[in-house]
Amino acid sequence: MTDVILEKVGKTYPNGYHAIPSVDLSIEEGEFIVLVGPSGCGKSTLLRMVAGLESISTGELRIRGERMNEKEPAERDIAMVFQNYALYPHMSVYDNMAYGLKNRGMAKKMIEEKVSDVAAMLGLTELLQRKPRQLSGGQRQRVAMGRAMVRDPKVFLFDEPLSNLDAKLRVQMRVEIRQLQRKLGTTTLYVTHDQVEAMTLADRLVVLNKGKAEQIGTPMDLYNKPATPFVAAFIGSPSMNLVDANLTEQGIHLSETLTLPLSHQHRGDIVWGIRPEHLEVSDERNADFALRIQAVESLGAETLIHGKIETEFGNGEPMVVRLSGPHLPEVNSLMWLTAPMSHWHLFDAKTQQRL
Amino acid sequence: MIENRPWLTFASHATLLTGIALVALPVWMALVASTHPASAFGVGHIPLWFGDAGAETWGTVLFEKAGNGVDTPVWFMMLNSLIMALGITFGKIAISLLSAYAIVFFRFPFRNLCFWIIFMTLMLPVEVRIVPTYEVVANLDLLNSYTGLTLPLIASATATFLFRQCFLSIPGELVEAARIDGAGPWRFFFDILLPLSRTNIAALFVILFIYGWNQYLWPLLITTDDAYYTLVMSIKRMLSVTDGDIAWNQIMATTLLAMLPPVAVVIGMQKLFVKGLVDSEK
Ligand SMILES: Nc1ncnc2c1ncn2[C@@H]1O[C@H](COP(=O)(O)OP(=O)(O)O)[C@@H](O)[C@H]1O
Ligand SMILES: [Mg+2]
Repeated sequence: MTDVILEKVGKTYPNGYHAIPSVDLSIEEGEFIVLVGPSGCGKSTLLRMVAGLESISTGELRIRGERMNEKEPAERDIAMVFQNYALYPHMSVYDNMAYGLKNRGMAKKMIEEKVSDVAAMLGLTELLQRKPRQLSGGQRQRVAMGRAMVRDPKVFLFDEPLSNLDAKLRVQMRVEIRQLQRKLGTTTLYVTHDQVEAMTLADRLVVLNKGKAEQIGTPMDLYNKPATPFVAAFIGSPSMNLVDANLTEQGIHLSETLTLPLSHQHRGDIVWGIRPEHLEVSDERNADFALRIQAVESLGAETLIHGKIETEFGNGEPMVVRLSGPHLPEVNSLMWLTAPMSHWHLFDAKTQQRL
Repeated sequence: MIENRPWLTFASHATLLTGIALVALPVWMALVASTHPASAFGVGHIPLWFGDAGAETWGTVLFEKAGNGVDTPVWFMMLNSLIMALGITFGKIAISLLSAYAIVFFRFPFRNLCFWIIFMTLMLPVEVRIVPTYEVVANLDLLNSYTGLTLPLIASATATFLFRQCFLSIPGELVEAARIDGAGPWRFFFDILLPLSRTNIAALFVILFIYGWNQYLWPLLITTDDAYYTLVMSIKRMLSVTDGDIAWNQIMATTLLAMLPPVAVVIGMQKLFVKGLVDSEK
């Protein structure tokens, strides 16, 4: 069953800034959707429109078939977790979680039951009488989630909920959020600028760029078949090597002297891409091109090699190679590489669409 | 700055003690003076140690009549002062909370203009607008009434400004969280805003109570009935007796009594007051 539908939803701020031209998205019940994109691309704006904290300028939002555009946030049956948690500082953990239920006129007995259930699920039972300032960052985060969960809403909305936690806790909370969402089966819309978080959490990802949804799909769809160079560069770390090139009957001209043979009906300017992990080290005879090594990052389990494609006129396009295990090539030496054709990504330079 | 030098500790303590002595001396003299019979002042020197008429003077002043032409007892005038001071304090706090609430959280036309107009009234304290205000109060038939004593002093730009700053420091996310939790404007005001401004309200309470208690010119102008005389203005009237000697002992006792409530408020609310001035727990 389709749970949340955004139909040509757009946003123009009162100051005239056109933050989101038009987004179409339909979310299935229980699905975990992550909105991802660089800072300022309109993720929060879109989420806040769903929450009802920003008005919807154009288009329509439906939750369970019901038009929501004119509804107050409290009437939409959604719950939101904010980046800075937004806990009421003067209320105990218990009151923070109970406040929304109290405002709905729920009986005291029932509130107590619900809060203690959720507190037990999140391991907050011992902390119920504390004030937010007496909690650690991770505990506050948990309370904020608890406050959302007791409401038993149709939709969870998260706006970069983990960005204030340290790296270790972030990973731990990420796993926990995913488990909880699976268990509760609540439709979730989650905003982040961190592509690793996005890839690991999402059933489906929406990559936003300047307010436009560049691509909507499963994490593996986006990794294997990015629709645009923007998505290609955004998903995956380190990001895909992209080279401006030209496609003729001989193949792809990466530079005047370097051509990768290919028969393709498209002609003209293209963007050629290959992920760092798909480049292979080979010998001089079989190689597609050589890389002049500029820097080596050894991470133990893998090694990242930064360099520039060696051409007759000196250095060409920059390129990153990711090799598993430790390697210690010398800086400024040459490294011969092959780029398997099955891993190539071709985009039309003009339309920015995948070929 | 923590230093451990004995002479420095000594010097700073000595400075503080001197300061306290200077401030406390007049109070001490008033206290001593109130324990001597009125005749002790005729000779022209001020006694420096307690006399034996203390209990009698204090008893008369507090429960019978203040003397020097003022026939009401001090406890009664204290009550009037208290009603006026509390009326002004609570009125000011309530009104400025509401106006700051409107200015910060609601979008209405000319919002900023409203704020600046309120702000400009800082330039118009009672003393400046006393004649027109008197006229208005007289026309409304509010002379000699508690309403007349308090109402014209209630509007407060300072308090509005203070609460505006306090409200502006409340993060937007908190307001939004409350909206999602289904708190309407009143619920938000009472459940979130008031508790968060608690320390500011307390600090303001102290300042405004002292301001209200010490009102002098306005009560002097609009009360002509003994039943509404306040303590602070009565001291001045006690000083202006024309016939006979001034009973200094009674005046000193009254003055000391007039100082007690503000001191009590400051001491009682000291902790909250300091907290409200220096930190915010948002
Ligand atoms: N209230 C506002 N008025 C005008 N412009 C805004 C407002 N809020 C956000 N914007 C602009 O809209 C764009 C998207 O913002 P936002 O949705 O917050 O981005 P992000 O993807 O980082 O969450 C930004 O360029 C921002 O400057
Ligand atoms: Mg954002």
